Amino acid sequence: MRASSTLRPLVMPLALATIGAYFALAEPAFLGSRNLTQLMIEYSITATLALGMFLVILTGQIDLSVGSGVGLIGGLAAVLVFKHGWSAPAALGLGFVLAVATWSLMGALIIKQRVPSFIITLGGLLIFKGLFWKIIDNSTIPVSRGDEDNLYSLLTTYYLPTIAGAGVAAAAVLGLAWLSWRARRERAAAGLPLERGAWAVVKLLAAAGAIGAVPWICAHFRGVPLSVLILAGVASLVYFLTQHTRFGRHLYAIGGNEEAAVLAGISVPRVVVAAFAFMGAMVAVTGFTVTAYSGASTPTVGDLMELDAIAACVIGGTSLKGGRGSVVGVLLGALIMATLLNGMTLLAVPPELKFIARGAVLGLAVWADVRFGRNRA
Amino acid sequence: MSARAAGSLMPSPWLEAHDLCKRFPGVVALKGVNFDVRPGEIHALCGENGAGKSTLIKLLCGIHPHGSYEGSLRVAGQPAAFRGVRDAERAGIAAITQEFALVDELSVAENIFLGREPRRGWRIDWPRLHAEAAGLLRQFGLPISPETPVRELGVGHKQLVEIVRALGKHSRLLILDEPTAALTEQEVAVLMENLRRLRREGTACIYISHRLEEVLALADRITVLRDGATVASLEAGEATIPGLIRPMVGRELTAQFPARPPPPATQTAPLLAVRNLRVAPAAGAPAFLRDLSFHVRPGEVLGVGGLMGAGRTELLLHLFGGWGRRLAGSVELAGAVLPATGGPREAIDAGLVLVSEDRRRFGLILDQDVGFNLSLSSLGQFARWRGLDRPREHLANQRWMDRLRIKAASQAVRVGGLSGGNQQKVVLGRVLMTGPRVILLDEPTRGIDVGAKREIYELVGELTAGGAAVLVVSSELPELIGLCDRIVMLHQGAVGGEFSRADFSPERLLAAALGQAAAA
Repeated sequence: MRASSTLRPLVMPLALATIGAYFALAEPAFLGSRNLTQLMIEYSITATLALGMFLVILTGQIDLSVGSGVGLIGGLAAVLVFKHGWSAPAALGLGFVLAVATWSLMGALIIKQRVPSFIITLGGLLIFKGLFWKIIDNSTIPVSRGDEDNLYSLLTTYYLPTIAGAGVAAAAVLGLAWLSWRARRERAAAGLPLERGAWAVVKLLAAAGAIGAVPWICAHFRGVPLSVLILAGVASLVYFLTQHTRFGRHLYAIGGNEEAAVLAGISVPRVVVAAFAFMGAMVAVTGFTVTAYSGASTPTVGDLMELDAIAACVIGGTSLKGGRGSVVGVLLGALIMATLLNGMTLLAVPPELKFIARGAVLGLAVWADVRFGRNRA
Repeated sequence: MSARAAGSLMPSPWLEAHDLCKRFPGVVALKGVNFDVRPGEIHALCGENGAGKSTLIKLLCGIHPHGSYEGSLRVAGQPAAFRGVRDAERAGIAAITQEFALVDELSVAENIFLGREPRRGWRIDWPRLHAEAAGLLRQFGLPISPETPVRELGVGHKQLVEIVRALGKHSRLLILDEPTAALTEQEVAVLMENLRRLRREGTACIYISHRLEEVLALADRITVLRDGATVASLEAGEATIPGLIRPMVGRELTAQFPARPPPPATQTAPLLAVRNLRVAPAAGAPAFLRDLSFHVRPGEVLGVGGLMGAGRTELLLHLFGGWGRRLAGSVELAGAVLPATGGPREAIDAGLVLVSEDRRRFGLILDQDVGFNLSLSSLGQFARWRGLDRPREHLANQRWMDRLRIKAASQAVRVGGLSGGNQQKVVLGRVLMTGPRVILLDEPTRGIDVGAKREIYELVGELTAGGAAVLVVSSELPELIGLCDRIVMLHQGAVGGEFSRADFSPERLLAAALGQAAAA
């Protein structure tokens, strides 16, 4: 098992590369700028929701209601804009606030009244679905009036020009370099052993390559999609929260052993409610982007997205019992799911087979995780 | 008294145990138990916590199968080799322990016949099942309907239903482990009456209880265990309470204790003062901790002793804000009142910390590393607006690893893989990093090796030398005597006696724990 445990971090990137290579060979258009841009938009929508789900699962809870919630919040904002003539920022703002409030309430019911999260959010799934269909009246509600653009419709139709995209990427790389240099200096000041300088440079170059690839790929289409920037912001925030704050430590502690967390002085209800509130915020953001992506709110928006979000976390090595998982894992898990779906759509695989393939990959990933050693957080 | 007279005629024993020895990794639980039970006899087993009673019972009823122990066991004159509980049951041995083995959602009748339901063809014969159950209940004088769901019964009735179930299996030997711990006086009377009736009918019984009056009133013979061996076997007629306590104490020291400095002067203001504390497990329940008053001075180690279920752990958890509902009384830390509604966070902030008796369940996040666990309660010290100061946290963790001599390759080692002693040190490091003034230790040396024990005793000395107050709960009388300046013994949720070092003697401490302060 030694060899398999040292190879473990490479298993998911290798699986991803294999899937990508297969699609690229089967259909050359897969690597085209247009398709990759589309893949990036679809990926950032799933991954944003999965990052919200990640915090909930870390505490050992689950949220089945997010798919319906995505439809509901997106639909609500669309109705406000199209039927009631609200300005897009006001409609989005109200949707966001309502989502955060609703998810905080569900979190409070789960942790204070001790109703299992599976039940509360299963109820949420049904209630939100019903409310959603009621407010959009089972019809199609565009996200803007006439042909005019607004903030809502621009969420997935706005592309950052390549120059600006390259600028943002360069700023991100510089920021990352500065942060890692400062962390290094602080460790040195504390007299702690340092990582080899060459290795740190290699890691930074790899990150720079990954970040720089985005504007480069998008250059031949329309530019960098806005939703990719949203995902970048959310991923940085979740990374910071889980790795560098008390809140993040408490999430891992509660998921690892809730009774011990209580006796260690952690306010479990506050932390769990906060995790659900964050989930609500991600439901709102995803609701807006996914509705904008389809151009209008229709009754099928958000269908089964909760399962994609949970699958991304699990494939990425997050334990459903809580207390174990990482942001990078979730991002990779979501990328595997998004690539699979995009490639199969491109190859015109029939929808019934697409479902079966996604289910098989989920089962396979978890089996491999159980079989080839435990993923340590 | 006719049964006692019959007992003295010495019929041949139904169950005989010879030189039973049982080893666990690192511990010898039984080292030479000799024991027999005659038909129609109530044989009581007495001994301190950890004397080996539970191990002996598990061996008799097949939980520890034949081959996992040494010595011989004979039932009805034949050598017995139980491979599991079913073999023991088939031989006629039924054990009723403190954890109920009833299915809450099934009815009383269904529970009594669970796994051996009367059938007609392939269907369960419900009329016969209910009629037979009703008959057994009537025989026991139990005024409950066989169709009552078990979850609606009180603890006492559940206990009696378990006994009915055991007898329904035509058991020849009943083993009762602390059957009266949760019963009301009236329920105890019903139980006693039934046990005497069973004795007349020839059923044998092994009866374990800490209530010595009960033992003297009921038993025909009494065997005392200590350190895994039989140390006395008496006819009930010859026994007295002091005569029972004497052989129970005198356990061997398992570690050397560092010398204690003289205790602080009696006029020193207490750091922790508890007055007239009454606590119930939940709202509406009767008080479990009753009128507890004690105090601890800075630099002092107060021991809290008592038998299993006396309320030691509950007391510590309540002081820490983690258990029960306070009905009356106050807790003061350095003169400031600790509010009854506060939780663990408030206790930690006030300078009071707890090390739980079950470190794996209540003390550690086993999946995380040593560093994560050490700083978990003190993260506020490292918080900045731009995130935790991880280098400073790393250094603080390192300091505690060095000070407590935690043996792990680095902070990044998973806590779940460490030895018991090192895990305990990680819990100690976590609570000490918060800078506490009052430290509650619940069984701090349970399940750890002698070397680590000694280190923990030394640490207690260092903490008190630094002006902290320490409360130690321990089941081991030698540990309390070796480590503490004063000892409070609890008995059924109340103070059974308080002792200063000059008055420490195992006999007196145990008598107080048994509620027999006058006997010693």
